[in-house]
Amino acid sequence: MSARFKVSRRDFLRTAGVGAGALVFGSYLTPSLQAQGLIGNLIHGFPVEGVPVVKLMFDGDVVIIAHRAEMGQGIRSSLAAVLADEMEADWKRVTLKQADADGEKYAVAFPQEVTEEHQLPFPYEEIPRTRKPKVQYLVPPEGSQFTDSSRSMTAYFAVMRLYGAGIRLAMTRAAAKKWGVKPEECRAEQHRVYGPNGQSTDYRWLLLGAKKEKPTYEEISNALKKPEDWRYIGKGKEKMPFYDAADMVRGKTVYGADVQLPGMLTAMIERCPVANGALVSYDDAPALAIRGVRRVVPVYPPGVRGGGVGRAFAPHAGVAVIADNTWAALQGRRALRSTIQWDFGPHVTYDSEAYRKELEEATSKPGMTVRKLQDVDGPFAQAGGGDTVEASYYVPHLAQAPMETPVAVALFRDGRMEVWAPTQSPDVTQFSVGAVALGVDCALYDLECQERARKAATVHVTMLGGGFGRKSKPDYVVEAAMLAKQMPGVPIRVQWTREDDIKFSYYNAASNQYLKATLGADKLPTAILQRSALTSFFGTLFPSTSTPGASAPEIAANAKARKDFLGGGVYPYASGIERAQGLEDMPYEVPNILLENCEAKNHIRVGWMRSVANIYHAFAINSFADEMAIAAGRDAKDYLLDLIGKDRILDEKTMTSQLVERYRNNELPLAGIDVPVISGGKVNQVVAGYPPDTSRLRAVVEAVARESGWDQKVRQYKNVKGRGLGIAAHRSFLSYVAIVADVSLNEQNELTVNEIWSTIHCGLAVNRDRVEAQMEGGILYGLSYALLGEITVKKGAVVENNFDDYPVLRIHQTPKINIHIIDSQDPPTGVGEPPTPVVAPALANAIVAAGGPRIREIPFRKSGIAV
Amino acid sequence: MPVFQLHVNGSVRTVNVDGNMPLLWVLRDELGLTGTKFGCGVAQCGACTVHLNGKPIRSCVTDVGVAALAEITTIEGLGGSHPCQLMWIEGAVPQCGFCQPGQIMAAVPLVEMCRQQRVAPTDEQIDDAMRGNICRCGTYPRIREAIKKAAGVTS
Repeated sequence: MSARFKVSRRDFLRTAGVGAGALVFGSYLTPSLQAQGLIGNLIHGFPVEGVPVVKLMFDGDVVIIAHRAEMGQGIRSSLAAVLADEMEADWKRVTLKQADADGEKYAVAFPQEVTEEHQLPFPYEEIPRTRKPKVQYLVPPEGSQFTDSSRSMTAYFAVMRLYGAGIRLAMTRAAAKKWGVKPEECRAEQHRVYGPNGQSTDYRWLLLGAKKEKPTYEEISNALKKPEDWRYIGKGKEKMPFYDAADMVRGKTVYGADVQLPGMLTAMIERCPVANGALVSYDDAPALAIRGVRRVVPVYPPGVRGGGVGRAFAPHAGVAVIADNTWAALQGRRALRSTIQWDFGPHVTYDSEAYRKELEEATSKPGMTVRKLQDVDGPFAQAGGGDTVEASYYVPHLAQAPMETPVAVALFRDGRMEVWAPTQSPDVTQFSVGAVALGVDCALYDLECQERARKAATVHVTMLGGGFGRKSKPDYVVEAAMLAKQMPGVPIRVQWTREDDIKFSYYNAASNQYLKATLGADKLPTAILQRSALTSFFGTLFPSTSTPGASAPEIAANAKARKDFLGGGVYPYASGIERAQGLEDMPYEVPNILLENCEAKNHIRVGWMRSVANIYHAFAINSFADEMAIAAGRDAKDYLLDLIGKDRILDEKTMTSQLVERYRNNELPLAGIDVPVISGGKVNQVVAGYPPDTSRLRAVVEAVARESGWDQKVRQYKNVKGRGLGIAAHRSFLSYVAIVADVSLNEQNELTVNEIWSTIHCGLAVNRDRVEAQMEGGILYGLSYALLGEITVKKGAVVENNFDDYPVLRIHQTPKINIHIIDSQDPPTGVGEPPTPVVAPALANAIVAAGGPRIREIPFRKSGIAV
Repeated sequence: MPVFQLHVNGSVRTVNVDGNMPLLWVLRDELGLTGTKFGCGVAQCGACTVHLNGKPIRSCVTDVGVAALAEITTIEGLGGSHPCQLMWIEGAVPQCGFCQPGQIMAAVPLVEMCRQQRVAPTDEQIDDAMRGNICRCGTYPRIREAIKKAAGVTS
């Protein structure tokens, strides 16, 4: 504290009458920008209405609000460092604060009021204008904190830069005024502004002057650093900071279960093992006899059907044991277990083995056409037997299994719900637990109900001990809220065991993929057919005929809502989101293409796991490419490049002429959007487009082949028994990844993954170290499920329990990984998920090259491959 | 209810709990030492690893009655500047960070042995020390490198 203030900071702030203890820069900066009607020129534009992502304290220190959930991707540091870089903030004076749920605050709007006649193109035309009429969002409130689909950096890179540059510009101008010099003669560096005559001053002494500055968007845009001046971003001169690492290695980071509130009790829940089951009866006496157990309460009253198919984020039926501590709750739960009678309901017949046959049956006949180019029937009919390649690939349900099991704390008082939770979806959590507080049931399409519910809830987001999609679904937070509602004033923590996590996930879809191709005289395919059957997560989100207890009007209303929601399609088919993840955007250049989606009914909660539908689509198409290459007698890499074909962009025109419905492209536009800017009419801002670009797919294949020494190793391994290389490439979440796997297989079919090479094109790699970390992690996540992952269901209940029977990859099974990032200055695209789906097919292809069997099923251990 | 005197991180703490309560829950719920994590409850994942008399054990399957006979060290008791902690930061090892206290506690004895004997850890030694600890984020390659650096001896 400076000697100039003879009071403590706290006292000063109090006398200054600043409640929050900070000058809120966001609230001054943005209205000025908004008045200009301006927008970011890279991708998503500029935040509206005082998005308070920055607070400058009176001592000049900076608080940056992390509004996206942190689950290991490093986004807290990355976004803050982007801002600090442009702001020229001294990182030692930066503190991060995790934001509560407040979707509207972090939304990003288009610059001007969008009237009916000024309709924006897809996908923005579909964004519901629920919160504020007439505002059209680039990032809508519903999505501003939804940390999913590898979108944080794509959505907020430009925004954070503009914020930082705006503050730096304001500081520089304030200093110039103070010194009576021109702003152009001043420069800012590390929290200080330097003048032309040796003057310099700390940002802290410029706060009030800077507050009066109102730089326009154009001025800020012109003040953005050039890439060569970046400190942290991209290939900046300094290592990008990693804010949370120091606390993490000292056990100080607060995850969901580490929240401690006075008087808090811990609950464990014994759940109905079958989706949509109901409680019949239970006896609380044995549990209450355990010391420390306070209460035994049902999650829903007996007879009420719990969560499952079509019930979105509603928890399964269950009975909770609420106790003084976790151990007492666990013991109470064990005592309770055998006293419970369940009404399992119709999904008790769900059986993985039988379901696989259903999926195979579904893909054995025509499904719903989703993309069609010319006609495959002619070439199929003409082809001789030797020219036809045909194969079927199966992927079972998979559980995300983050290291931190689901956990949440809820406190109900004065009609409001306050929760602390590791959640990827603060906004969905907010309206879900708010609905519990209000005692209402908001349908997924009932936006007014959700808006009321949001107002009844506060959501504090903790650090996530891994998410991988599991924590996008707030059922575990809803459980805590439902119990807290029954004990007003008492904070209740719901702690899941690992068995709970494995048995009550929102599983990745089980899927069967059928592919057929005919090869022409040049041994390249003249026609290709792909049929995809997958249990859609939309079957979990919206009630359907597979939702026991749903009324006919409810089903009809939801069917309509589903169709209108993000290309939701109809039950029991896939949604537009799933179709767009590796099916509709099948990238090979083939003259005749037919892509179909086949039906798959839901009998268990289905959600999404890291890379989602790309898991089965990338496995199938890349394995099939290798099968075609073998049939053609060609090198796998050369053949893959031929399949990718000539460089082309799958633009709006190309795609819409083939697709039956609109291609969703991770909910970002295929082509750039021109946005007329009011100010001066000079700047014609463009929102970038992110079309599938086969030149990028080619680039990653060529790069990974070069990095791995593909050509030379392929020649060498021809003479080495049991050694082989496999290659695969896939675009997902707007990024392109290619992988080469080098494996050894001995006589006993024991597999060793010797080394993996990977290349990613993700636009500008903003935080290179975290891109590499996500590549390492994403690849190992893919390797884990490829070799080991399988959830089995019998009599409606998940068979697996814990890491002993749902094994995951361990350190001794981890190969050496080489990572190569394609240099690019293009807008950044996804990183967390794209590496994952490419591993399994590269590995399967390598196993064949090593003389092993063709594996068409995950996990590989089921095909006799030992690891 | 039995009273146990626990020697935790150099100080004596008294708890009044069942003798079969796992040490994990005593540390977390009774002593507020939340750096030790629950991951599986059945000694499969290593998130709950602490030291008893300097040896890594799984606190989720260790009764407090047994732990009371030994010196208990948790991640909070490692001092904050242990070579493992410093090299974990240096190598930007953590992603979500949840498993890392357990990973570090599992690595410490190997690292300290190597530092004392001035030998570099082999990959096999690292595999043996660390195969009981799961990381779903996939930080294994960086854990391996951090252990080698923390051992302070280059092979």
